[in-house]
Amino acid sequence: MSGHHVSTAKFLWGVAIALLFLTFLTVAAAWMHFPEPWNVIVKLGIAVVKAFIVAAFFMNLWWDTKFNALLLFMSILFLFIFVGITLLDTLYRTDPIPGF
Amino acid sequence: MAQPSLSVKKEKPEHHHFVDADQQFEASKMGVWIFLVTEILFFGGLFAAYIVYRAWYPELFIAASDELDVFWGAVNTVVLISSSLTVAMAIRSVQLNQIKGLIINLWITISLAGVFMVIKYFEYAEKIGKGVLPGAHYTYDGVDHEKANIFFSIYYMMTGLHGIHVLVGISLMLWLVWKAKKGHFSSKYYNPVEGTGLYWHLVDIIWIFLFPLLYLID
Repeated sequence: MSGHHVSTAKFLWGVAIALLFLTFLTVAAAWMHFPEPWNVIVKLGIAVVKAFIVAAFFMNLWWDTKFNALLLFMSILFLFIFVGITLLDTLYRTDPIPGF
Repeated sequence: MAQPSLSVKKEKPEHHHFVDADQQFEASKMGVWIFLVTEILFFGGLFAAYIVYRAWYPELFIAASDELDVFWGAVNTVVLISSSLTVAMAIRSVQLNQIKGLIINLWITISLAGVFMVIKYFEYAEKIGKGVLPGAHYTYDGVDHEKANIFFSIYYMMTGLHGIHVLVGISLMLWLVWKAKKGHFSSKYYNPVEGTGLYWHLVDIIWIFLFPLLYLID
């Protein structure tokens, strides 16, 4: 639980190689031209996996006190509430404000 | 948390108002995490703008993102992931009390951040040269959409704010090198290295989302 987790060099290289492989995969997915909405879902899915890997194994949340992971989770939750309520307005306008 | 026990000798904290060094380390790390929460919501405003406009003008985003070079976006992603690796290696070095390794890894990270900014500079220069400027200054006519300037306003705001964060990261790491050379850090005290590392990884995560959202739309 305590925050002094020391990763081996081999492990850190493994994490970086996994991230580089996923970067290659997301560029490859762009060439494949999946039909929407799969295009967005595949690319954001890969980005979420990459972000999870960075947060868990580079930022050490995997071994850290759960409170710090909770902070990250809450910030994402509030981001969803923020975007969700905004979309409840903007998606249902018959006419976006002229000039916007 | 380690079990509190009077028989275990605790390291003295750097600042006297902490119980011991471990408590100071945990407190400073939690402080950085709370700062990162505000950073996520700070960028969140721009992500919200992106989502609102993409929902309104999906065809604009497909047309305008063709102007961005996927190759250089991908190179910059590789550069930032590598810099996340070297900053993690810097933290590993200081945890093992290898101060020379810490300084070398910080310099590599600073160089990679510099490469990122140089690539970003050439991308901006190429766009500005052909009149792709944000908002009312937009004069380019290569994108067939009346709201083309909106995509690039969002592009400049998101990558610009991200770029400012990269510059702040470079300054923080130069400061860490300076402190490390003065012998401030050891395996017993490296809180500023840990905090800067967390910040740097978040800057990487934000780019991990910006790359597909801006460069890889169809």
